[in-house]
Amino acid sequence: MSTQERNFRILRGGGPSGTPVEFKNYSLELNEHATVLDALEWIRVEQAPDLMYRHSCHHGSCGTCGMTVNGKPKLACLTKVEDLAAGDIKLEPLVGMEPLGDLAVSPVSLMSAYPADSGYIRESEVNKDAARPEAVERFERFENCIECGLCMAACPVEDEFQGPAVLAALNRELAKTPERRAEILHAAGRPDGVYRCERALECSRVCPTAVYPAKHIMELRKELEKESGAE
Amino acid sequence: MKKYHVVVIGGGGTGAAIAYDLVKRGFNATVLDRGELTSGTTGRHHGQLHCGARYAVGDRAIARECMEETNTLRKIASESLESNYGLFVALNDEDEAFAPTFIDACLESGIPAEKVPRKQALLMEPKLSDKIGTVVQVPDGTIDAWRLPLQFFAGAQQGGAVIRPFCPVTGIEIEGGRAVAVRIRDLVQKKDERIEADLIVNATGAWAPQITKLAGIDIPITPAPGTMLAVRKRLCNMVISHLHPSGDGDIIVPQRGLSIIGTTQYKTDDPDDIKVPREDVDFLYRCADEMVPEFSKQPFHAAWIAARPLAGKSESIEDGRGLSRDFVCVNHGEHDDVHGLMSVIGGKATVLRAMAEKTVDAVCHELGVQEPCTTTETPLPSHRQYYRKGAK
Repeated sequence: MSTQERNFRILRGGGPSGTPVEFKNYSLELNEHATVLDALEWIRVEQAPDLMYRHSCHHGSCGTCGMTVNGKPKLACLTKVEDLAAGDIKLEPLVGMEPLGDLAVSPVSLMSAYPADSGYIRESEVNKDAARPEAVERFERFENCIECGLCMAACPVEDEFQGPAVLAALNRELAKTPERRAEILHAAGRPDGVYRCERALECSRVCPTAVYPAKHIMELRKELEKESGAE
Repeated sequence: MKKYHVVVIGGGGTGAAIAYDLVKRGFNATVLDRGELTSGTTGRHHGQLHCGARYAVGDRAIARECMEETNTLRKIASESLESNYGLFVALNDEDEAFAPTFIDACLESGIPAEKVPRKQALLMEPKLSDKIGTVVQVPDGTIDAWRLPLQFFAGAQQGGAVIRPFCPVTGIEIEGGRAVAVRIRDLVQKKDERIEADLIVNATGAWAPQITKLAGIDIPITPAPGTMLAVRKRLCNMVISHLHPSGDGDIIVPQRGLSIIGTTQYKTDDPDDIKVPREDVDFLYRCADEMVPEFSKQPFHAAWIAARPLAGKSESIEDGRGLSRDFVCVNHGEHDDVHGLMSVIGGKATVLRAMAEKTVDAVCHELGVQEPCTTTETPLPSHRQYYRKGAK
């Protein structure tokens, strides 16, 4: 197995403690399979025991390890170091979330922006016509969105904007609970809603779980147009 | 009753459920984790909601508990579960010979295992290998290993628990044979702090010996890392398991748009020093293909490793499979003459609520509190509630 030495420039400090922020260098040998999260784990164990970053599942399902890698929002656990350009690797906290210190952020503002009572389960689209156990009414699965906030960080809209993750969740709710149509479309059509979208499509590009938030925003716009046409 | 303060060290699934149970029984609770919540073993779980079928032949009591807890979680945390059942599939003659024993053991454990005609199984899961023989349907499912604990944390927080990630414990203060306080380093505020406790529960899993060491106690835990592998396509809706006595690479768990094959098992000394052995990845692909032949043709998504905590000393075992998967709550007052400190060891994700119930029963006994457990009935708040503005 080949290994290569890579240098990470990690933004340390910041957050509520008011510690000044500065980049610090950490070099280590990595094999070709190592992810940015693997590297952070080994840096923490071997060089910086107090390094703060969020992580849980290590396979792109929890959505906690979003950070800015060489200027782009990415999940650390799904980003292979080998795929990053040669030279130093710059790590900073994710934009758009409150910093807690080092690379850790608080997802409070994002989680609070999701529609309050939106569910997290949807019907599975796989083998839709398959036979099922008697006790299983329908095959179901978790929503694609892992609430990582990468799309919110990538979105170039500067004005007050609910943002791609929240609007995508609204459109999913519309699909699942058509009886709430009026309320959902009202939320989507607010001044900070779908009309703020500049169709840059950055959200869909960075989404690690193929939610394609931009598509959901377009669908909501179409539904709103239908409503205004009907009036 | 006096409002006792219990400090729970470890913000994994067990710590989450213990904190929730504690506040429901009227305790003040503080949860401490050295990093983000569920950043140790819990979050890296392959996500199988175990109805207990896998354990039934070896241990009916554990299997029965898994079944009961599966039903309870479906009632209180349905938003963190894909409840699609599972299929155990026989792949060879040995498996066929094992099948009747397996079904009997399930039924004796209260698990409604049901033989499904091969043709029907292929209608349920068309991607299954056409080489499968006997198929048994059981009420397995998929857990979201991050959001299920978050639901418990949200419930705990609602009941007044204080949950503090990024607060590693640096010391345990002992006075007159009793643990009376923990010292922590708050990495967010960048300050040291002392937190008094009427009782301390060590729920750090594979890291438990590092915590008890702070109180001068050695406990027998063997970190047993295992590799998991995910491909980027959901190939099935049901959990697919190899119908054989437990072994490596015998479970495919679908989750969102992924299919996950688990797992392998080793033993190690340091739960922080673990790396995916690359031979595991090839091995897991081969195992998955035996059950679902398209598995290895899908795009690679991730390979990762997690250190399970197994109760027992590592010298006494070959590969970790000999160690019990059962859960033990050790009262260090009885075993090590350090009162006010307990360690919870072992266990499984599916039974996190039951582990918490037994632990808090022990806490109540120790502190002379008589409050029954009430965590089986009320649905938990949404996982997002934990992070909502004003929730703290």
